[in-house]
Amino acid sequence: MLEVKNLSKVYEGKVPHRALTDINLSIEKGEFVGIMGPSGSGKTTLLNMIATIDEPTTGEILINGKNPHTLGKNDLAKFRRREMGFVFQDFNLLNTLTLEENIVLPLTLDNTKVKEMEEKAYAIAQKLGIAEILNKRTFEISGGQAQRVAIARAMIHEPSLVLADEPTGNLDSKASKDVMEMLSRLNKEEEATMMLVTHEAQAASYCDRVIFIRDGKQYAEIHRGDSQKVFFQKIIDTLSLLGGNDNDFSEVRI
Amino acid sequence: MTFRKFAFNNVIRNKRLYAAYFISSMFTVMVFFTFLNFAFHPLFSESDINKAVFTGMSVAGGIIYVFSFFFILYSMSSFLQSRKREFGILMIQGMSTQQIRKMVFLENMLIGFLATMLGILFGVVFSKGILLIAENLLVMDEALNFYFPTKAIIVTFISFILLFLFISIFVTFILNTNKVITLIKGDKIGKSEPKANVFLTLIAVALLGAGYFIAVTVKGASVAVALLPVVTLVTIGTYLLFSQLNVYVIRMLKNRKGLFWKKTNMLLFSDLAFRMKDNARVFFMVTIISTVAFSAIGTLVGFSSLITDGMKDVNEFTYSYTQDEKDEEEIVTVNRILDDYGLDYEEREIAAYSAMIDDRYVTIVTPEMYNEFASLIDQEPVTLAKDEAIIVEPDSKREMIPMNMVPLPSAITLKDGSTVEAVKTEEKVNPNVLLTMGAFYVVGESIFEQLPEPENIEYMYAWEVTKGSEDDIINAGRDISQEILGFTAVDYVVYDINKVWSPVLFVGLFIGIVFFVSAGSFLYFRLYTDLDSDREKFAAISKIGLTEKEMNKVISKQIGLLFFIPMSVAVIHGAVALTALSHMFGHNLVRESVMVLGSFFIIQVLYFIVVRYFYTKQIRRAM
Repeated sequence: MLEVKNLSKVYEGKVPHRALTDINLSIEKGEFVGIMGPSGSGKTTLLNMIATIDEPTTGEILINGKNPHTLGKNDLAKFRRREMGFVFQDFNLLNTLTLEENIVLPLTLDNTKVKEMEEKAYAIAQKLGIAEILNKRTFEISGGQAQRVAIARAMIHEPSLVLADEPTGNLDSKASKDVMEMLSRLNKEEEATMMLVTHEAQAASYCDRVIFIRDGKQYAEIHRGDSQKVFFQKIIDTLSLLGGNDNDFSEVRI
Repeated sequence: MTFRKFAFNNVIRNKRLYAAYFISSMFTVMVFFTFLNFAFHPLFSESDINKAVFTGMSVAGGIIYVFSFFFILYSMSSFLQSRKREFGILMIQGMSTQQIRKMVFLENMLIGFLATMLGILFGVVFSKGILLIAENLLVMDEALNFYFPTKAIIVTFISFILLFLFISIFVTFILNTNKVITLIKGDKIGKSEPKANVFLTLIAVALLGAGYFIAVTVKGASVAVALLPVVTLVTIGTYLLFSQLNVYVIRMLKNRKGLFWKKTNMLLFSDLAFRMKDNARVFFMVTIISTVAFSAIGTLVGFSSLITDGMKDVNEFTYSYTQDEKDEEEIVTVNRILDDYGLDYEEREIAAYSAMIDDRYVTIVTPEMYNEFASLIDQEPVTLAKDEAIIVEPDSKREMIPMNMVPLPSAITLKDGSTVEAVKTEEKVNPNVLLTMGAFYVVGESIFEQLPEPENIEYMYAWEVTKGSEDDIINAGRDISQEILGFTAVDYVVYDINKVWSPVLFVGLFIGIVFFVSAGSFLYFRLYTDLDSDREKFAAISKIGLTEKEMNKVISKQIGLLFFIPMSVAVIHGAVALTALSHMFGHNLVRESVMVLGSFFIIQVLYFIVVRYFYTKQIRRAM
């Protein structure tokens, strides 16, 4: 499904900075993969390149066998809105729109039939437990609700890949837990392929597999067994091996 | 750091944030000052003919002042809107509402003071530039000299310091600092949608309808009387139209998901709904200002064309002259002067019969005489049977001032006491071929011979220049007119009128342009107030997948609506105003109206293209 080959990124400038070196990874369809690492390790750079928002310096990214970076600007935009779904740390909802309108936005841009959009929006809102508040505006709801709306927006068009950049970063622990449970359930039920960038072990423990990055290089990779609790402990252990300052990991909860 | 120092530094060090507000305030001051500079020009206060002009200018000045007030108030409040967060942070630090008010007041006064000073300074330079251009472009005898405008400076300074003082006080009261949290969240909180009111909508329609109806139906001098009520009706009607109709249309669109959820429409309409209140205000102001511009320029262009066209219509020949007693001397003089200027010309003369009928002198000519003159200016000749008679009446539509003259009696009494019936001709006979005021008869040969002894013979002379420069024709006309009283040289007369009129016309055009430019700056300010939030919005959507083409489309529509909705309403208002005007003068102003409104429209389109280009570029930079 997703294939990343020998990916490197160098930020040009007076002092060129190597953000990523030789990243290789592949994600199967329906997999839920987490990317972890300390601040400045290159997680978000990697995500941005997969999201086609940023261009790699060398190496290639294949999504369903196609390299989106060879597409033109306009085709790229269309590729993003059809094949990808995004969940951001700060939600990125438009405050001029109602929640429902926010959710159907990717579909409206593609000129889908109204009835189909309404049905899809309602269906996904049901799953995420936000069906009752669909007519509210963005400033009338809590952060957890906003993030669920963002997830609904990211998933409504059944994208082949959902990318989540620190989706729990702005949420309290209860909302974080809700959001992660939703994501993991949608991953199972819809067989959506998901990639999550986070530095919270709690959030990462919902993944099938976690890849650790340090200083732009792949450092380790651990798989989840049956127990989420054990997996969580393994993540904590790997993080402590990874080193770095304690305060790089903001909310380690045991 | 004292508190005053803090407020002061806050402005000086945040130059960029304050720039938009400052510049628009300064621009307003500049416009007002330049305007006053002309209004107080010695030329207008000294000469008598321009007293009326001065009154008109005072009214225009008043309108500019009122709109400056609204414009600055509007700029100020949207400027404060964008700074809510800052106030929130300051309040968290423990600043009291009192202190915030004091800070805003001090800031505002500082900006106001600087804007007034700089506005006047730029205004002096600007008016000098305008005058230079004017001197080179227009025929002006009493030139609009540059003078040091002490009076204008003082009036502008006092007016705007008062205006800023008032706005500063006013703004501090509307600044709601009750809840710190709403301040911190700033513009993330949606503006409440105004509610549409059926009653108000009906009133809007009724007011506009009544205003239009009165404007179109009123005739003659009562137009001037109806002016104020009509302006009031239309102004209020326009405001209600925008504040109500906006809401209705958007609400209707939003309820029709098939349309609202179609492609980029959602982005466009939701944005309009979000900014409904602001847009209504801006639309209103821009419409009224543009209407004033259209009407002012339309009036002046119409009036000047009315006069010059009227002159040229009535006087078909280059030169003409009528003698009651034949005086060859004078004609020799005329021809000598024309020869001196090296003009090629043809000269004709006829001796027309003139008699007293019903207490007035009436001219009677034969077809031969008529044709003698008609052929000089390539007009159709008339043919009449020997015993036919026709009446030729001036074409009332083409007259400068409709003359409700008593029509000529149809019966002509002959020598032997019998009468002949003269008919009104259906044929195209040009009443201006003869040098008479009003109607005349053309009668067949046999009738002409049987007319009683004439009380008078009118010797009419006409000259048509076939080759010669415009200047020579005018100068020769001037020389002859000085020599011979009652000689008509139409080009010289028109030139003379233009000379008197051109400063007035120029100032009028200038005022119109100033109004139009301020309308443009309103729009610009409105647009750039939202630049940041638009940038953020488009950056967010482009990540989800909005192509550049789609973005351009949304932006074009957004700016297009902003530019052309008020413009269209203003064009309709202007057209009605000019129709009323043409009723007052009894002169058809369609050509002038189309010209004025059309050129404004073209300018607006160009402005739209330029603004759209830069705005799109700004937004794209964020993507």
